Amino acid sequence: MDNILSFSLADFQYNDNPDVLAPPNDFEEWINHPKIKASFSFFEQQLLAAPRASTEILSNLDHKKRKVINLTSYNYLGLSSHPEVIQAACDAARQYGLGASGAPLLSGTFDLHVKFAKMLADFKQKEDCLLYSSGLGGNMGAIQGILRKGDVLVLDEKCHKSIVDGGTLSGAKMLFFEHNNIDSLVAMLEKNKGKRTLVAVEGVYSMDGDLVKLKEVVEVCDRYKAAIYIDEAHSTLMFGKNGRGVAEHFGLEHKVGVTFGTLSKSFGGVGGFICSNARLIRYLKCYSSPYHFSCAPSPIIIAGLIKAFEVATRDSSLRDKLWENTGYFKKQLLDLKLNLGGTESQVIPIIIGSSGEKLFQMAMELQKRGLFLQPVDFPAVPANARRFRISVSSQLTKEEIDEACNIIEDVIVKGLKN
Amino acid sequence: MDKAKIIEVIKKNILANLEDVKEEDIVPEKSMKDYGADSLDIIEVVSCSMRELNIKIPRSELTDIKNIDELANKFMQNIKG
Repeated sequence: MDNILSFSLADFQYNDNPDVLAPPNDFEEWINHPKIKASFSFFEQQLLAAPRASTEILSNLDHKKRKVINLTSYNYLGLSSHPEVIQAACDAARQYGLGASGAPLLSGTFDLHVKFAKMLADFKQKEDCLLYSSGLGGNMGAIQGILRKGDVLVLDEKCHKSIVDGGTLSGAKMLFFEHNNIDSLVAMLEKNKGKRTLVAVEGVYSMDGDLVKLKEVVEVCDRYKAAIYIDEAHSTLMFGKNGRGVAEHFGLEHKVGVTFGTLSKSFGGVGGFICSNARLIRYLKCYSSPYHFSCAPSPIIIAGLIKAFEVATRDSSLRDKLWENTGYFKKQLLDLKLNLGGTESQVIPIIIGSSGEKLFQMAMELQKRGLFLQPVDFPAVPANARRFRISVSSQLTKEEIDEACNIIEDVIVKGLKN
Repeated sequence: MDKAKIIEVIKKNILANLEDVKEEDIVPEKSMKDYGADSLDIIEVVSCSMRELNIKIPRSELTDIKNIDELANKFMQNIKG
């Protein structure tokens, strides 16, 4: 390869190596190049403590332990290490043991699972809820369970891979509409009038932090009799007066057919869930493979999640603090004249541009200065909009945000001028 | 290899990967999206064509390409010999 640094993970999906247990030859050439190796060193860095706003990592850059301000973990409300959550998990470990030891339909359903599913269904104002062991499994399994060959999945082009994979598994025809472009959505629906159609959108889009134009999506879906599936992974427990998500924020929960959430972000645990009508949930229990054929979520995790849910919803203090931190952080960054794209949420991108080398050089300097702020490269984001992505947490103090902004000014603002 | 042959290769892969498209309808001035291709279809057509032409172009250099003609030009620039 002549221009090896221009290649990315988008270029090595196809594999014709005669040895089926080997990656493509050119992938090995690419990934072993010193500069590519250096960029990959940002992956899989070890956290040595809880993913709090201030934590410690074992840096892959110089193999040193380093105290960092953490702007990357999805621990938006700080619940993964909340003392009441930890206590609930410890108590459950003693009572129930480590794992569920079975698939939900046979022996894996504990009283904790039933209780938590009911809490989530009531919270989301739907009839029933299905719990999954993973967030990816939840999205993928729900779509795969709902759609069949001959059906149509119309999805925003920025939807998560788990939705795309669910569509692929289902055999449904997939049509991507331009991000948040209602004319493009209409064009896709017009092409497939009369077919069973599901429209998938996200409450908060994870790479840009912008919101779905839900009011317009609802109007169009009503007109074309298409059902709405909303992924509220980055919005549940945060958006809306009661924290129910972006659909609540827009006052349109009753128009959503299926609402999905992860349990690994604001909830601080791991897993996923969907809430919908009871007949669909009953059906999916038999036909959604990641539910049906997977061990049920660990009772320890579920006990911790029940407590996390109680803490997050007993008053608005955690989400109030999150929005206060988000507003403060955003203002500081805008004062630094940084390009934050169209963010409307606690996900704040800092868009650097087209130079991957510049992105990784800055990433290295940020980390050495004590900021854990991971770079996001093509193909996860467009090649001309490589970026850093801040996940704001309610745990951040004003001092930590100020220090983070000092480092960002020294490294990113000055780096962009050079 | 001349440009006409490259366009033939791209056309062949469009026909193999997209439903309800007729060969006579494919014109270089149009985008694959005009023929109903989504992003996964486009990746497949581009990958199959590059394999057939024995070239490898970084995906990051293809993001601004607007139509089949521009894709063929890009392929031309990368064909050796």
